[in-house]
Amino acid sequence: MGAHVSNRLDRWADPPLLVLASLADEPKHGYAITRDVAETMGVRLSAGTLYAVISRLESQGLIEPVPASDRRRPYRITATGAEALARQSERMSGVASLAQARLGQRRGLAGA
Amino acid sequence: MSEMRSSRRRAALARAAVALYPPAWRARYGAELAALLEDSGGGIAAALSVAWRAIPAWIWPPRQLHDRDARMRASLGTLLVAGAMLTGIGLVFAQLTQLQGLRPPGHPIVGWSYAIFDAALAIAGLAAAAGGLPLWLLMLRRAKREHRARDAAYLLVPLAVPAGYWATLAVTVRLVGGPGGVSGAWFLVFTLAGFAAAGLACAGPILALRRLRPRGPAVRFAARAAGVAAGSLVLAIAASAVAAAGLCLWAPDFAGYHQAGVLAGYLGVTGVLAAMAAAGAVRGARAARAHAS
Repeated sequence: MGAHVSNRLDRWADPPLLVLASLADEPKHGYAITRDVAETMGVRLSAGTLYAVISRLESQGLIEPVPASDRRRPYRITATGAEALARQSERMSGVASLAQARLGQRRGLAGA
Repeated sequence: MSEMRSSRRRAALARAAVALYPPAWRARYGAELAALLEDSGGGIAAALSVAWRAIPAWIWPPRQLHDRDARMRASLGTLLVAGAMLTGIGLVFAQLTQLQGLRPPGHPIVGWSYAIFDAALAIAGLAAAAGGLPLWLLMLRRAKREHRARDAAYLLVPLAVPAGYWATLAVTVRLVGGPGGVSGAWFLVFTLAGFAAAGLACAGPILALRRLRPRGPAVRFAARAAGVAAGSLVLAIAASAVAAAGLCLWAPDFAGYHQAGVLAGYLGVTGVLAAMAAAGAVRGARAARAHAS
C-alpha cells in the first residue's frame, strides 16, 4: 500500500524540472539526461517524454542545443532556464522544509 | 549474429516510431531521438512511448518549429476539400428541395432557411474566389516563369475537370433524360460523378500548393478568405439542415423528407465536413494572424 502510494507520488515529479535539474551543471545529450535523472533522482524518463520535454523547454528558451558533430546533440540550460530552476527549487525547498518540520512535530506528538 | 539482428530491429523500430512525427519535428529531433532509442536499447515499449507522444506533437507543434506558411497551405488544402464537398452537398440539397418547389405553406422557417442558404452559399463562393484567385494567379505565373509544366497543369485542373463534368452532364442528360427529367438511378450516378469530379478538381491545387510552397501575403489573404468561406458554408449547411428538418416535420408528404434515416445521414455527413472545415479555418486563420503580428 505504502509503496503504491509512493509510486503515485513519484509520478508527480515534473519531467521539465527534472531535465532542467539534470542540465544545471553541464550540457548533456538525451541518453545522458535519462541516465542522470534515473541515477540521481530515481525517475525513469521514457524517450518520448524526454523529447516532448526537450522541444517544449527549447521553445520556451529555457534550454538550447549545443553544436554537435554526431546525432547525439547535447543541450545546455540558458540563463532564463537557470533562473526558472532556481525559483522552482526554492519553492520546493520551502515545501520540503515545511513537510519535514510538520512530520517531526507529528513524530514528537506520537512519542509523547 | 543475434545481437546484430536485435540491434537492426531496434533501429527499425526507432525509425518507425520517429516516422509518426510531423516532418518539421522529425527534421529537428528525429536523428537524436532515434539515437537515444538505440543507445537505451529501447524495445517495443520504448517505441510505443515515442509513438504515443507523436499525437501532441501534431496537435501542438513546438513554437520554434511552427512553419506558419506550411500550416496555412495545409489549412487551404483541407478547406478546399471540405468546401468542395459541402458545396456539392449544398447543390444536391438545392436540387432536391428548392428547385422542386418544396415550400410547405404556413411554415416560413423553411423559406427563410432557403434564403439564408442561398445568401451564405453566394458569400462562400465570392470569398473563395476573392481569396483563391490571387494565390492561384501567383502560382500559375511562377509555374510558367520556372517552366514547371506539371505544376501549371495541376493548377488548371480546377478549370478543366468541372468543365469536362458539366459538358458530359449536359450531353448525357439529353441522351438519358425524359420529359420529367432523369431517373433516380441516373441522378445518383451524376451526383457520385460530381463528387468524384470535385475531389479531382481539389487534388490539382493541393498538389501545386505542396510542390510550389508559396509564401507571403497572398497565402495569408487566401487563408483568411478561406476562413470566411468556410464560415459561410457552415452557415449554409446549418440553414439547409433546418430546412430539411422543417420539411421532415411539416411536409412529411414530400419525397424523401419523411425518412428520419435520410435526415440523420445528411446531418451526420455535413456535420463531419463542417467540423473539418471549421478546424481548418481556425488553424489557418490563427497561423495567418500569428504571421502578421
